[in-house]
Amino acid sequence: MLRASAAAEKAGVPSSSLVCEGFIGQAGTTSVGLGLPNLPVALVPGHVGTQSDAELSENVLGVTLDDVVRNLTEMPGEVATVEDPEPREIVFSGTIDEINRLFIENEWSDGLPIIPPTAERVEAFLAFTDRDPDEVLAILLPDSRAATVWSVAVNGVMAGCRPEYMPVLIALVEAMGDPDYGVEHSGNTPGGETLITINGPIAAQLRFNDEQGVLRDGFQPNTSVGRFWRLALRNLAGFLLHKNDKCTFGNTWRVVMAENEPVLDEIGWPTTAEDLGISKGRNAVSIARYTGSNLIASATGDTGEKMLPFLADAVLKQNTWQLVFTIGTSPGTLRPLLVLSPILAKTLAKDGWSKADVKQYLYDHCRLPAWQFERYLGEWTDHPIRDLKDQVALRRAPKQFAESDDPDRMVPITFRPDDFMIAVSGDPLRTNAITFAHNGILGYTVAREIETPAGWEEKLKAAR
Amino acid sequence: MLRNSEIHDVVWPRAARQMEIAPVAPRLDTLEGKTVAQLWDYLFRGDEVFDLLEQGLKQRYPTVKFVSWKDFGSTHGADERQILADLPKTMKAMGVDAVISGMGC
Repeated sequence: MLRASAAAEKAGVPSSSLVCEGFIGQAGTTSVGLGLPNLPVALVPGHVGTQSDAELSENVLGVTLDDVVRNLTEMPGEVATVEDPEPREIVFSGTIDEINRLFIENEWSDGLPIIPPTAERVEAFLAFTDRDPDEVLAILLPDSRAATVWSVAVNGVMAGCRPEYMPVLIALVEAMGDPDYGVEHSGNTPGGETLITINGPIAAQLRFNDEQGVLRDGFQPNTSVGRFWRLALRNLAGFLLHKNDKCTFGNTWRVVMAENEPVLDEIGWPTTAEDLGISKGRNAVSIARYTGSNLIASATGDTGEKMLPFLADAVLKQNTWQLVFTIGTSPGTLRPLLVLSPILAKTLAKDGWSKADVKQYLYDHCRLPAWQFERYLGEWTDHPIRDLKDQVALRRAPKQFAESDDPDRMVPITFRPDDFMIAVSGDPLRTNAITFAHNGILGYTVAREIETPAGWEEKLKAAR
Repeated sequence: MLRNSEIHDVVWPRAARQMEIAPVAPRLDTLEGKTVAQLWDYLFRGDEVFDLLEQGLKQRYPTVKFVSWKDFGSTHGADERQILADLPKTMKAMGVDAVISGMGC
């Protein structure tokens, strides 16, 4: 919304942005990142979602209207901006306690102690890349900051990563800057959290946990790289709570998930990275934002026909309001994730199921009545795009969403079978799975190959 | 090993801002006779809010004209980048003098 106003202002057309009361602060910080710190906003009192028609009318005509007129006819006052230090500037000398206090006070830390980012420690990380430290990997909204190799190393130090994780960290920030991922949405109110998946030989080389407890803190690479991600969002992109990060609740970062590739090799299923276009055997990270997850305990059965109905039921039930990413302003961008423990994947494979077969099953069976789908779009979330048949007629949805006029017809939750993501990880011998509800275009699933430096294996050996 | 008595020289952890600060566009002397575009992200009752604002502005400025949000498409989601990239020429073609953009909620 502010980006639209900024585009108009930069084209020489005055704007007024309509902002609900709870978002005025975010509008101020976002405007700085857009290069227009005095972008004028019109207050909409309270939140429109809980107002009666009469209250809305009173608020808009009594408050917002005056602001709009003023915004369009009076030049807004200047807003002072704060000068930043230089990227390599030494900003403080002190003890670890003093440094941690300073970093928390300046919102440079997540609240946990950080490892002090000294030049010496940063250089140790830079030894694990052939890239120029000043190379810009991405310009990241909302602050429009230039994430460099240097700044990645600084935040890797702070997160408690080891220097040899540096190739993974660089790939992650490149993925963060992928326009398809949409980092600019990372402060949205549902507050989804990114899940990082790592594939390739590097996962074992760096000793990522790929089995029991894979999503719990406890293994340095999984945990510290997960923490790095959120520090990067904070320091390289500019997402700060009570400013640009408007998650209603939020949650702590997710630790990195390594896939169990020996099992995938054994059963002949492609990895997550391969599903996203990375060649087999290459090192890669994949990222996607998920609004929540649900554990599916004790899936049973020695065949797919016995096991999959339970899994499909759980995947379907995890996706409710998220269906606005299937039909709506970002059609076809919902990519639900199902993570199978190795024993479940092996059982399915033994029964003759390929990964593509399982995706097809989920597409065919994760279905709900059209009227219920439309209720998530309209009555319950107040989105203006509500009619599935209209969307098919406009060619913004495939024909499967309008195969009849029957409101009880069953419709899928994704555009294509391949939109379902399936990974294999976790306790090898426990019959559990976990499913994640995706945040659609506000954190779309993307992958990035990890580039290791020349002499990688020797450097890695020397680091141990 | 870190000791609390040890002094560390630490670098700034943020990345440098790249966006040059720019002035906002010149404002209008009046909305009388002007064309106001409604840009909407298709969220949070913007259609109703635009109707109310249109009604209120027409009472104050009887000759003000509007270009509906329906003529632009959603400024949020899959079409955002293209719609914003095209916005300068779209506004010019439609004779737009000012923009109201919603909803930030």
